[in-house]
Amino acid sequence: MVIAQCKKLVKIYSAAQDFRALDEVSLTIEQGEFVSIMGASGCGKSTLLNILGLLDEPSGGEYELGGVATAQMTDFERTRLRRHQIGFIFQSFNLMPRLSVLENIALPMRYTDKPRAEILPRARELAVRVGLEQKLYNTPLQLSGGQCQRVACARALANNPALILADEPTGNLDSTSSADILGLLQELNQSGMTIVMVTHDPKIASGTHRTIHMKDGKII
Amino acid sequence: MKLPDLMATGWTEIWAHKMRSFLSFFAIAIGIATFFYTLSVLSQGYRRIGRAAKISGEGRVETSTNHPLTLVQYKDLLGQLPEGSSLSLVTDDRIVHREWWNTLYHQQNQLVGAAAIGILPSWRDVDFVYRLEGRFINWNDVENKHRVAVLTVFPREQAVRKKAKRRPWWEDEEGISTLRDYSDHHHLLHQQIVLNDQTFTIVGLLHLPTENNDARLPNQREWVPTLYLPYTTWYDLYPSEDDTREVKIRVVTGRESLARTAAKGLVSFLRSQFGINEKPTIEFFYDKLQERLAHVRKSLNDMLFMGIIAMVAGGIGIMNVTMAVIFSRTKEIGIRRALGASRRDILFQFLVEAMLLGLCGAVAGMILGYMAVLHLAEDTSQMTFSWWVVVGSIIIALVTSFLFALYPAWQAAKLKPVDALKNE
Repeated sequence: MVIAQCKKLVKIYSAAQDFRALDEVSLTIEQGEFVSIMGASGCGKSTLLNILGLLDEPSGGEYELGGVATAQMTDFERTRLRRHQIGFIFQSFNLMPRLSVLENIALPMRYTDKPRAEILPRARELAVRVGLEQKLYNTPLQLSGGQCQRVACARALANNPALILADEPTGNLDSTSSADILGLLQELNQSGMTIVMVTHDPKIASGTHRTIHMKDGKII
Repeated sequence: MKLPDLMATGWTEIWAHKMRSFLSFFAIAIGIATFFYTLSVLSQGYRRIGRAAKISGEGRVETSTNHPLTLVQYKDLLGQLPEGSSLSLVTDDRIVHREWWNTLYHQQNQLVGAAAIGILPSWRDVDFVYRLEGRFINWNDVENKHRVAVLTVFPREQAVRKKAKRRPWWEDEEGISTLRDYSDHHHLLHQQIVLNDQTFTIVGLLHLPTENNDARLPNQREWVPTLYLPYTTWYDLYPSEDDTREVKIRVVTGRESLARTAAKGLVSFLRSQFGINEKPTIEFFYDKLQERLAHVRKSLNDMLFMGIIAMVAGGIGIMNVTMAVIFSRTKEIGIRRALGASRRDILFQFLVEAMLLGLCGAVAGMILGYMAVLHLAEDTSQMTFSWWVVVGSIIIALVTSFLFALYPAWQAAKLKPVDALKNE
């Protein structure tokens, strides 16, 4: 089953003299896939990921998520789709520094209609799943980089999304932690999660099913 | 996001930046303090006037004449007034002893009266806030010119409080304390009292309520222990030697709509009795209340204006802080949007945070305002705090912070997630 499908996606940044960040990119992500995107800085990988994650809108082309065309959607509809269908993992973790591990994991659920009583048990379950049951009440500042990224992984899973988008999840980590996080992502993938990951590291990319190479806004 | 979560998030941020939060709600607090003070005084004024209106009788009309009315004239006049009206004649408070002009005192084992007022039994129809001990002056006393008197007695606690606090300039310390001490230790009922070398029997004591519980307007109260005598006895006591003596005529019709009719009846009666040149000034109690109310409002308008200025300053402070907060938390907005927060969630998050700041300001302001009331208000014994002043202050603070945070919060909500996320 197709989870995400792009047809001739174009993204033009008009501010920078009509710079084409994406140039007719077409891509299909099947359910259960673990795809990595590689390429030099500025080749458009992050732009592609942002469009896949409904954080940004393409200047042209079509994007369907879970069989639903997103082009004509209002901001609220895109937000709702993002909330329920997409989980993000960022390079710099992007955790809330003042919230505990548990609250950070619970955060995406706070924006859903999930009853309040069910949120923390679910967050605890996810924390156990990523191996942080000892750190539930620590804040991100008290955790190592690897642990922070584990929190981010658990948070990405919170609303049980159809697609996880990881933007250089190992970019800020040492090699041990990187391998650790890759292992976690592979584990998630094996349990049926579809993952798209941007990376610079060929070693990390080699741990995925499929690697897409990009250059100057095009898939090569 | 649900309200408890929004509040928890807002509170975490406020607590994390205590100093900044404190500074931003300080101006709000000052504004609220002013409002609280003003509203407290205003509400007190309204309530006092409301209570006064309740016990003073509806459709109350007052006038005065220099011609003492006889009992026959009294009955004639009563017959011309709307049915069910209460008519009361009150003489002026004649001073007996020049040197002790403002009080009663106790001299050589004898109670000596100073000021005495002649009244009719109908006097007690309105403004009767006293607890009566013994009996009141009755028609038998009036018709037979009995030498009886009813004396007002001040509550003991008031004497104690007054001693401790400010004392009116006219209060004769020795005289008051002598009589009050005396009335504290002696039972005055059925005692003899000397007025103008004539002896009267005290048949009733009118125990005044504490100032707090005295519903009458301040200008209707006794400030010195006063003797009330039968109207007719009073004229015997002070034989006519000058024309300046005045009789107050008080009519209470029971219905505001009858006040004008009663006034007309009063004027035509006085003219029929004392000639066409009689031009009584009619005072409508309702109008007096309105005047008093207007006076209360007017004196507080300036104060309210200051409060509004402070609130605007506070609002600008909140706006400034919210803008700074949003600028420093743009990345956070991006993260929250990526995690599924809608524009409305972001808007509400900052509005709730600003309103929590406003609430803190309101609480601090009410404490300040309460202290201001205790230290600045002229008559703190009259001060009570109604719930609507507290609720009003909180609403004012919330609305101000809401309005001033709306624009920055809207700017935050408008941010594109991808742009917000790029911000470091």
